[in-house]
Amino acid sequence: MTAAAPLRAVLPEPPFRVPRDRADLQMFLQAALTLEHLTIPPYLTAMHTLRAGTNRPAFFVIRSVVLEEMLHMTLVANLLNAVGGRPLVAHSRFVSAYPARLPFSRDDVTVALRHFGVEALETFLAVERPAYVAEPPGHPSVREDDGWTSVGQFYRTIREGVLRLADRLGERELFRGDPARQVGPGDFYNSGGEVFPVTDLASALTALRVITEQGEGADRTVFDSDDRLFGEARQPAHYFRFEEILRQRSYGPHDTPATGPSGPALAVTWHDVHPIDPAARAADYPPGGEVRRAADRFDDVYALLLCVLERAFTGDPGALRRTVPTMLELRDLAGWLCRNPHPDPEKRARGLFASPTYEITDSRLARARSEPAG
Amino acid sequence: MDTQHPATTAHEPPGAPPECAGFVELSVRLTGFDEFDLRGTGMVRLYHDTTLEQLGRAAVGRFLDDLAAAGGDPGALADEVSRDIARAITHLWYLGVWPSLARATHAALGRGTPNTAFVVSPEAWTEGLAWRTFHGHPPGARPPGFGTWADPPPGTPDRAAGDVA
Amino acid sequence: MTAGDRHDVIVVGAGLAGSLVAKHLGDRGRRVLVLEAGTRTLDTWPGHLDALNTYYAALAKVPNAPYRPNAAAPSPDVLDLEGLPSGGYRAHGYFLQDGPLPYASDYLRACGGTTLHWMGLVPRMHPDDFAVRADYGYGRDWPLGYADLEPHYRAAEHALGAAGDADEQREAIGLPFPPGYAYPMRAIPRSHLDRLLAARLDGVPLRETPDGPGTVLRVVTTPHARNGTPDPRHDHYRPAGATGLPNYGERCVGNASCVPICPVQAKYDARKTQAAWSHRVTLRARAVVNRVLVAGDGRVLGVEYQRYDDPAAPAHTTRTAEADVVVLAAHAVENARLLLLSGLANSSDQVGRNLMDHPTLLTWGLLNRPVGPFRGPGSTSGLECFRTGPARRARAPFRVEIANWGWSWPTGAPASDVARLLGIGAEPGAPRGAGLFGTALRETLGHEVGRQLCLQFAMEQDAESRNRVTLDPRHRDALGNPRPVLTYDLSEHVKRGIAAARAVSARLFALLGADDRTAYAPGPAAPGWYRFEGRDYVFQGAGHAAGTHVMGDSPATSVVDPWQRCWDHPNLYAVGCGSMPSVGTSNPSLTMAALALRSAEAVDRDLAELRRPLVVRQPGGSS
Repeated sequence: MTAAAPLRAVLPEPPFRVPRDRADLQMFLQAALTLEHLTIPPYLTAMHTLRAGTNRPAFFVIRSVVLEEMLHMTLVANLLNAVGGRPLVAHSRFVSAYPARLPFSRDDVTVALRHFGVEALETFLAVERPAYVAEPPGHPSVREDDGWTSVGQFYRTIREGVLRLADRLGERELFRGDPARQVGPGDFYNSGGEVFPVTDLASALTALRVITEQGEGADRTVFDSDDRLFGEARQPAHYFRFEEILRQRSYGPHDTPATGPSGPALAVTWHDVHPIDPAARAADYPPGGEVRRAADRFDDVYALLLCVLERAFTGDPGALRRTVPTMLELRDLAGWLCRNPHPDPEKRARGLFASPTYEITDSRLARARSEPAG
Repeated sequence: MDTQHPATTAHEPPGAPPECAGFVELSVRLTGFDEFDLRGTGMVRLYHDTTLEQLGRAAVGRFLDDLAAAGGDPGALADEVSRDIARAITHLWYLGVWPSLARATHAALGRGTPNTAFVVSPEAWTEGLAWRTFHGHPPGARPPGFGTWADPPPGTPDRAAGDVA
Repeated sequence: MTAGDRHDVIVVGAGLAGSLVAKHLGDRGRRVLVLEAGTRTLDTWPGHLDALNTYYAALAKVPNAPYRPNAAAPSPDVLDLEGLPSGGYRAHGYFLQDGPLPYASDYLRACGGTTLHWMGLVPRMHPDDFAVRADYGYGRDWPLGYADLEPHYRAAEHALGAAGDADEQREAIGLPFPPGYAYPMRAIPRSHLDRLLAARLDGVPLRETPDGPGTVLRVVTTPHARNGTPDPRHDHYRPAGATGLPNYGERCVGNASCVPICPVQAKYDARKTQAAWSHRVTLRARAVVNRVLVAGDGRVLGVEYQRYDDPAAPAHTTRTAEADVVVLAAHAVENARLLLLSGLANSSDQVGRNLMDHPTLLTWGLLNRPVGPFRGPGSTSGLECFRTGPARRARAPFRVEIANWGWSWPTGAPASDVARLLGIGAEPGAPRGAGLFGTALRETLGHEVGRQLCLQFAMEQDAESRNRVTLDPRHRDALGNPRPVLTYDLSEHVKRGIAAARAVSARLFALLGADDRTAYAPGPAAPGWYRFEGRDYVFQGAGHAAGTHVMGDSPATSVVDPWQRCWDHPNLYAVGCGSMPSVGTSNPSLTMAALALRSAEAVDRDLAELRRPLVVRQPGGSS
């Protein structure tokens, strides 16, 4: 959309193999943590660009997915802590620049910050697409592959690594992390599951199961396993939930991935959005202007969110409660930005609005780290 | 205040001012909130249209002339009808509610609509500016998060010393 | 009557009490039919969002604002009352009123009942509250005491997911709890305002009058039925989410609109209990029960009800349903109305009498610094030291709620402040003030509203037989049922309590350095205005109707027995606040829930008794 070539950040991928030792597993889990976060800004951007009071079904779908991604991040952090690692969150390497290339994927998928619409949803589908055939590296069926083919395969590989290391080191030795670092359900519940501590092989495998089944569905069905894991209502996995919006129709209880959704219609009004520039940079907004100030403030608060998250993941689990007020402040800032016409007259003429740009630099994080929690 | 409806907001000629620029400019003077805040509500078009519907073009035109004559300062408006219009538009921004006009204003404008207050739309209530003047939020919308009510409100001396729930 | 319409139990009303009774019995294998007069639109997520939008779009944000009017099952509304310019009132709407003062409370007839708009505060009653006649010489006594109810208080706290600090309640109020007891969730955090008040009031001795009894002030956290942080000591309680949308409804995010609607359903309401009903419980909405059917021996056979489709059309069909036990749980006023309509349970002549509420005095002022109003739940703490003690002999006791929402209740802030500062008065014909605009308006409004403080003094009202619900066949609702007539007044005891509260408020404001802006005058918005001993007062209704099918230990003087079973009809129960002989100063829903759970156990025992096989014993045989 712009003359400049789009930036394409690439997250570092671990080598294509099953993790061989503790350090290797920690590196894989840090990559998983980074990956879970990669999708959050694009999902939030789609939510924040909806016109207030419109497209409520779509709003609640995206919101539910974002919350489950937060759950996944927290479970990965618990797992990483359980095996003696230290989650890294408040670091510029943790936050991708957008547009980014989706890692662990055979396909060339660009993940950008787009307004709610067909294009954004197609990206989300690509991110969450179930990968039924991808076995871990070394399996005869993937002998020809020389790299990752899907996110699902990556998680399956972590699972294989956890199993092998638990076998080799012994369960107690593998899960020797400090239990006080585990985030429990007190601060996160009722949103497509709840956080639980990871302290042994069983809870580690459950955590990995939650992450993959909420994303792509259980047992090759449309639905996740929230009913079995949390005693909650099962719901379509992320891929299928996004597909419901795109196809404007819900999945019924007997639908399968092959049949597609045949349930009740789901109303979407595609024009009830604030279109934005997916390549927007804060530098596009005139310095000293109100839009620029808000965009900078957004990034400052987002940096603060990451600092609070890191604190929650590295010894102060109770800090997790402070992420909610921060998220809600981001909601307000993003909403205000997305309703303001783009300051650039040419972009404004094309009907584009301002938007948050998620430029989380190390200097910004350093400032946030020195701020008090509130 | 522009009184023309563009067919769509999405394709304006390059260089055109933003939507309802005149209405936003006078609203800044009435409310004490800046353009970013006002546009951030998403209510500009709705309030612009509501004002025209409730008052008619002629009355709005006279109001704009009066405001210009007052040097853009609504506090200096001399004509009571224009002053009441200033009250109504400000009330609309602060609460999302179009108020009853003074009976004399209602009669002077010869309005055909009933002179009753109404909430312009559900979203208008959730975008009221009144709440922001004391760092609050409209009840039922824009919640600030669990336990935030334990914190001192922003900008108070208690803020720095405040403990976190 | 068809064979299919026979059930173990019929519960009339799908509010808090009825939903808990149905859950308890359904879980024990009983087949339960719940008949609800209102609609169940709000069970669905689109229905919930519609209510939210209706609330946003309502000019007056009163407790029933989110809920669409229902002509077939009308509800009273606080907007029905109009104060007259020189005192007195006029009643519009559903209630007819003929008392010296108006009965100023509302309720909601819909699936979920009044819990849809309640505040969600769940303090227990004080042990002293159960014997006010014996110990303090006013009102009526309970046939049971705190100790009898204590296990059911715990059960109710579990069912509602209460958040509280048992140690603080025990120590500050004197409430007995079993050792080691923990509420399902930790206490909801206190507001910043609570903390400001605690810093200035805690430990300060206060006398109401120079020679009157003294007390020591202390700000105490209030228990809530609201999702907060689960307490692992309470057996890893899992909070209940929202109904209508899977996996939604986390903890309170501070929408500050508990009354009239919690957008995220963090606040408990009866729909959460209904979502957990077993399949043996059947809910039939849009079914207005207007007669309890009774056999010659006094046993009830079932109920007659009016089924309607369109809440706006005066059309219905009449049906009947049978059961072994009928439980009325339709609200204190509606239970009395139904018993009166049916001509039942009234050998004591007490049905409809002893109507009580918590008449509430509001006082308001400005603190000398920002307090952060309009944030969080409506109240998170209170002053509990006026709830009991020797002063109770002379005047009604009261509980002081610290209001977190500024002057919204007494003055309609901040909308009224915006209008005032703009020069807009209440009277459209009156000349308008010059008004403030721009930065001056913004700063003045923030400076004033940001310092608003309001205290709510909820009085215990003593049971009086003259305060009552009757029926007037000349005035009927859309389905042809006589509308309730409310006859209501405040006793001298209550009025002395209100006067004492006014004096206490003045002392508190002085201690706080607050600028007291409290003013009482007759007018359209003050139907509760009256004069007492030369001073003006305005009281408000609290929505806590009670007493109308009063519980006692004798069929001659009460309607229901200690199990809420009608003395005159062994298989007819009337549950709810209507059974309470005295209401103490606690918000009554938790006590109602405890009583309902206790009665559900009795119903279950009754049913077991009915089904016990007859054993013919051999003379001299072993047993």
